[in-house]
Formats: sequence, structure tokens, C-alpha cells
Amino acid sequence: MNDDARYMAPLHLAARLILENGGETYRVEETVTRMGHAFGFSEVEAFAVPSGIFISYRKGDGNIETAVKRVRKGATDLTRVDAVNAISRRMEQEQLTCEEVMEALRAIESRRAQLTKWQLMLALGLSSAGWAVMFGGWGWDAAVAFVVSTLAQGVAFLLDRARMRSFVGTLTGCFLGTILPMFFHLFTGLLVTDACIAACLMPMLPGLAMTNAVQDTMRGDMVSGIASATSAALTAAMVAGGALIGNTVFRLLTGGVL
Amino acid sequence: MTDWLELLRTIGYGFIIFLSSAVGTYGFAIFMHAPKRAWLPASLIGGVSYALYWALLQVNAYEPLSIFLAALLGSVLGQLCARKMRMIASIFILLAMIPLVPGLGLYRCMAYLAQGAYGEGVKAGVSAMVDIVMIAFGLGIGSYGIRLFRHRPANEGSAVK
Repeated sequence: MNDDARYMAPLHLAARLILENGGETYRVEETVTRMGHAFGFSEVEAFAVPSGIFISYRKGDGNIETAVKRVRKGATDLTRVDAVNAISRRMEQEQLTCEEVMEALRAIESRRAQLTKWQLMLALGLSSAGWAVMFGGWGWDAAVAFVVSTLAQGVAFLLDRARMRSFVGTLTGCFLGTILPMFFHLFTGLLVTDACIAACLMPMLPGLAMTNAVQDTMRGDMVSGIASATSAALTAAMVAGGALIGNTVFRLLTGGVL
Repeated sequence: MTDWLELLRTIGYGFIIFLSSAVGTYGFAIFMHAPKRAWLPASLIGGVSYALYWALLQVNAYEPLSIFLAALLGSVLGQLCARKMRMIASIFILLAMIPLVPGLGLYRCMAYLAQGAYGEGVKAGVSAMVDIVMIAFGLGIGSYGIRLFRHRPANEGSAVK
């Protein structure tokens, strides 16, 4: 077996880390090609779609090494995407061996999350509080959006543990984000409900899928662009569905007092 | 005198809008596991973009145009910032776009539909869709424009096998 085959492992790991953590497909292709060239291969081809990657390069003996990998999307971690990109840039500047690159990529892969789930929930609460004011709410709206968003994310984490994240998590989160502020307002009359509810829904909107769809499409990758756009549309439909169910249930329970 | 007071009040509220959208973006940057050194600049870009959108609406600008210009500004600033900080542009662009995503419009659409006000619901839904398309245009044109001015040296990897 030719020794050049071992270069496939770092190329695949880099591609998988970017794709799993929310990077665009064009970035996967660019990074793999850049790394392949830095390893010294003249012919490197990478084709990525949101659910998988195909990589091939011509080895020193003239044969082509090809591999395909299915990638399942994980939680978004932009620090990892940035770190992999930084390694590929570093490889352009200095000569790194296959083992050194592999070690650096494994360190990124095994790096524990910098923040605990509690901290992430609070960060999301903070974000919703800010958006409540941005949408025309005030102190109470910010406070309620903070609590409800934190709670909704907690539920999403629980569903994640039960392997029910994704669309079910979005639907449940939006249902809670709609019905809880409505009940709070029913009992206290303190909220600008539209602002508070919209702030709770904001973190669940598919901003990442939407920007990825545009970025991929602008670079001519229609397949990935359409796939990301479809994913964004489905998530938006779940957000809308959750809000609609929350609104309807509230009206059924209270007779539509708001 | 009253005009001046009104103007000062509007500017003050504009600052609150900027600050609140920046806080919203900051929290979201943490949640998305963005690199720590990107949190502050990304949230400022998010704040500036949304403040521009809000300011344009205050002078009765056409809403789709306002959101397009805000997205364009966010996209350009995000890419310039990424280049300056030697980080990937997606971090800044994504976070700049987040405050512009029409969450309120989408919610209003659903609220109207739940009340049986289908005409209003469809109107709010179409308006939200137009906003999304405008964000995509602004983002895309910003990315394309920056790339036109970007000079990248030819890839000179190590010795070719």
C-alpha cells in the first residue's frame, strides 16, 4: 500500500469537523483543497453536500485515492470551524507533517465545550432579553423573554438527550415561547406581548442555514444552497407551527382574551 | 424647541435599539460557540446593522430597501472584520444577520392566522418573506462585492508530488 494513502485521514477529519459544526460546504471544499495542495498533491478534488463529503487526490504512484463519508450534523460550534480553517491556513505558511496536522485536528475534535449547558441557556436568555427591547418591549418583556428562552432551551437540551432534538425541539421551544408570555400577560398585563414572544422565537429561527444557503449559492454550489434553503424553510415552518399551536391553545383555554 | 427635544428623544431611543440588538447578538454569539474574541465585534456589527434598519424606517424609507441596506452593511462590515482579525467571515456575517431575521413578522403572521384574520396573516407572512429575500440579496451582494476587491495570491503549496 502506498504511504500517500495516509493523507486521506486528516483531509476527511478536517472536512467532517467543518461540516458537523455548522460550516458551509464551499468552506469544506476550499479547506480540503488547500490542505491537499499543502501536503504536496497537485490533483485534489473535494465535493461536499450538507450530509456528506467526497475527497480524491492523485498519489505519488499515479493512482487516485478516493473516499466518501456520511456526515451527521451536530451542534453548531463556530470556534471549531474557525480552528480547522486556521490550521489549513497555517499549512500554507509552514510545512506540517501529516501526523502534526492529524494531532492538531484531533485536539480540536476532542476539545471539550468551553461553556456548560447552563451557561449556554443563560446566554440564549440574554440574547432574547436584548431582542425583546429591540422589538419595542421594556424591562418586564426583557425579564420574561430571558426566563422563557432559558427554559425553552433547557427543554431543548432534555429532548436532545432523548435524541428528539432538531424539529421537535424547535416546535416545543416555540410553543413554550408563545404560550408562557401570553399567560404571564393575562395575569399581570405587564407585557408588550408581540415583542416578548418574537424575542423568544428569534433564537430558533434558522439564521445559520439561511446564511449558509446564500453563501453556497453565491459561490455557484446550487445543490448545497438548495439543501440549506430547504432546511431553513423547514425550520421556519416549525417555528411558525409552534407559534401557531401556542396561540391557538391559549385562545382555546382562555377564550381569546388577549 | 419641541423639534429638538423630539430629535434628541429619537436619537436616544436609537441608541437603545443599537444597544439592545448588540446585547441580543452577543448572547447569540456565545450560544453559537463563536470564538471569544469575536463576541464583541460581532455584536457591535449586529447592533449597527439593526440600528441602520431602524433609522431608515424612522425616515419612512421603504422597508425592503431598509433591510437590504442593513444586510449589505452587516455583510461588508463582517467580512472586513474577519479579514482584519484573520477569522472566518461566516462568524461575523451570521451574527450580523441574526437581528435582521424577521421574527416579529413571522410571529404576527401566525398570530393573525390563529385569530382567523387570514388576510392580515398572509400580508404579514408575505412581508416577512420579502424581508428574508432582501437579507439574502444584501448578504450575497455584500459577499460578492468584497470578493471583487479582494486580492488573493495564487496558492503556492509545498513541493508538488
